[in-house]
Amino acid sequence: MRSSLELKERRTWRWLLCLAGGSVAAAAEPTFYAARVAPVLDRHCVVCHGPEKKKAGLRLDSFDHLMAGAESGSIVKPGDVKGSELHRRITLPATDEEVMPSDGKPSLSADEIKIIALWIEAGASPTKSLADFPTAPALRPARVAPVPLAPSWREKAAEIAALEKKFGVKLVPRSQVPTDGLVLRSASAPQRCNDQVLAGLAPVARFIVDAELARTPVTDAGLKALGSWENLRAIDLTRTKVTSAGLAALSGLKHLEVINLTDTAVDDAGVTTLRALPGLKRAWLFGSKATVTQYPVATAP
Amino acid sequence: MNPLPPDWQQTFERYNDAITRRQFFRQSGTGLGAAALAALLGNRALGADAAAGAPAPWKIAPKAKRAIYISLIGAPSQLELFDYKPHLQTRFKEDLKDWLAGQGERLTGMTSRQAAFPLAPSIFKFAQHGQSGAWISELLPWTAKMADDICIIRSMKTDAINHEPANQLVYTGSMQNGKASIGSWLSYGLGTLNQDLPAFVVLHAKHSSPFSNVQAISSRLWGAGFLPGKHAGVSFRPQGDPVLYLNDAPGVPRELRRRMLDGLDELNRRSYAAIGDPEIQTRTQQYEMAFRMQASIPELADLSKEPESTYALYGDEARNRGTFASSALMARRLVERGVRFVQIFHRGWDQHGTLPRDIASQCKDVDQACYGLVQDLKQRGLLDDTLVIWGGEFGRTVYCQGTLTETNYGRDHHPRCFSIWMAGGGIKGGVVHGETDEMSYNIVKDPVHIRDLHATILHQMGIDHDRMSFKFQGLDQRLTGVLPAKVVKGILA
Ligand code: HEC
Repeated sequence: MRSSLELKERRTWRWLLCLAGGSVAAAAEPTFYAARVAPVLDRHCVVCHGPEKKKAGLRLDSFDHLMAGAESGSIVKPGDVKGSELHRRITLPATDEEVMPSDGKPSLSADEIKIIALWIEAGASPTKSLADFPTAPALRPARVAPVPLAPSWREKAAEIAALEKKFGVKLVPRSQVPTDGLVLRSASAPQRCNDQVLAGLAPVARFIVDAELARTPVTDAGLKALGSWENLRAIDLTRTKVTSAGLAALSGLKHLEVINLTDTAVDDAGVTTLRALPGLKRAWLFGSKATVTQYPVATAP
Repeated sequence: MNPLPPDWQQTFERYNDAITRRQFFRQSGTGLGAAALAALLGNRALGADAAAGAPAPWKIAPKAKRAIYISLIGAPSQLELFDYKPHLQTRFKEDLKDWLAGQGERLTGMTSRQAAFPLAPSIFKFAQHGQSGAWISELLPWTAKMADDICIIRSMKTDAINHEPANQLVYTGSMQNGKASIGSWLSYGLGTLNQDLPAFVVLHAKHSSPFSNVQAISSRLWGAGFLPGKHAGVSFRPQGDPVLYLNDAPGVPRELRRRMLDGLDELNRRSYAAIGDPEIQTRTQQYEMAFRMQASIPELADLSKEPESTYALYGDEARNRGTFASSALMARRLVERGVRFVQIFHRGWDQHGTLPRDIASQCKDVDQACYGLVQDLKQRGLLDDTLVIWGGEFGRTVYCQGTLTETNYGRDHHPRCFSIWMAGGGIKGGVVHGETDEMSYNIVKDPVHIRDLHATILHQMGIDHDRMSFKFQGLDQRLTGVLPAKVVKGILA
């Protein structure tokens, strides 16, 4: 499932500021320096080479500063990639004492290094536009917007707690992002989590993305209830009494990605039913009556 | 007793003061704060917490719900298992004395006075395996079969050169005593999946060779350190019942036992209210856990329903309680039932001499069962969200300790590089990460410090290592400590 990038808000801001121009005049079309080079330096270097810290007397937070170089001299020789200290420092082995960024901070990606190299090669221009670099790689977006898996459960916290208590199950947030959804957890008292409980959870079912039902007394009747849990991504039905017939009830779960049917009586008819699920990536069938132990088998059907 | 000098007296009083204050703070920290923290996810206090401005450590949805750490105590030699150095074959017995002088490494007292440091190429054959073409030694034929399921890290490094500090660094994040172990951090930060079993279980596997050089280990490696005691790992016994006194004493029916515990609980509650010592809570929780385990353990330990195919997979040794293979099987049964963190300790990997003979028997103990465990988790659909880690505490030297012959040698401790593997839990399979120099002495690509390994484990479990902390001795204690640690992004699926 989704994992969010851990980049800080601050960086996004700086990035926007760079886009807005820095010391380079903001043209209608962004310059390659502003759109590609500055964001790379900003992401990796400006903490130590910026307005606050100026290690080696070097600032990398604007074109002018970059070209002014360090105490020891210039670090960019336009047109000469190999001869530019800037390029040398970012291409050293990670274990080299002179490698930049220093202090074991993550090194530049191959794409980022390529951006710097292309730019120096083309003369380290402050004005050349993005279009002048057709072969330049795109930048990884600074922040990937989290994909909500379910609506936020926050307002329903009291109701959720009451149902947990009533049914002896746990409804656990997957992370502190409330749209990451809840896990239905029954491992402490699997015998209590039966078909009636699943039916009774209907009022909060849309928050549940992962239903852990291994070793519960759930049957095909319970699958009917699950069939309306629209945001389910994963269901574990290991060692339950569900059958192929019951799986038909899940046909509306368009987000379902993983279903575990280990040690159940599900057979090939059930596998056929599962094939129709649009989002399904994996079904586990070890110890079932199906002739495959895993679906899809190695390659996609 | 003589009266103390006045300034001492003052110090003494301050100390007393501090103790009471500490208990007060602990009361708020442990009685409510930490309990709330561990149960936080369960109780949806998340919103409240974020509103209060406290950084919560669960920024990321977990890839792994549980983890199994296979700990090879004594430090398996990377040169014999995963770090293939074919060019060394031609340099048999070359004296590395001068070369070593330039390395500036501390040598242990065991070899520092050797007159010569003869280079000892590995006598074991390597071959490439799987789609990834990973080089794996003939000592691990089963592990080789799952080359595409595992991620081999050849560039681990540590700060310690002796076993106890090195083990403490790996398992508690610090060479100093008193820190919390990985499993106890996970229990503290994530709580339990199944209230009837401990969140953290420790299994001690026997090694079969009578010759193995065995290091003692202590419960510090699975202790709770400064965290509340209930987060400590629970050691299962390798023989007989995994937990003692599963049956009620004759003449004490379960009902009576329950009433006794309720009465005791009431007394403990009162003294906790009066004194606030967190150990009282720990004790109460242990009684309760013991009571629940009386019901949960017999089913867990009953292997009679395991089919023959299980033993074909893990190896016949899995039938014998206490072997590594039976521990691996038990680990699967534990995670299946909702134990968050299982740690298997297998000792005897400290081959200063007679390395070829001893490493072979150690490998034989674990190889097939490791394969069996990973394959079993995989076929049951558990590998995707179970992280498996296999490794020791440091590496071993390229030069020989003791006498070097064509067929025999030993290797000393080496902290600068060693190899481990990980599988499942959102780690990419079929990956070889990191590289060492031609001597398997220094890392030349992608170093991974123990701290980075910890950050990565926590990350896969949905915890930000920078944010999960516990205030103790004036410091926000973290598993990764105060030095920078980074998640090893390159191995994530
Ligand atoms: C953690 C702080 C830190 C970060 C981040 C960092 N640097 Fe540095 N940088 C230093 C220090 C300290 C020095 C001086 C020591 C040295 O020369 O190695 C330095 C020196 C340099 C020099 C040599 C200047 C001279 O004297 O010729 C260059 C070039 C350089 N850095 C470029 C970069 C680039 C490019 C990045 C981003 C990819 C970067 N640095 C990121 C700390 C940092």
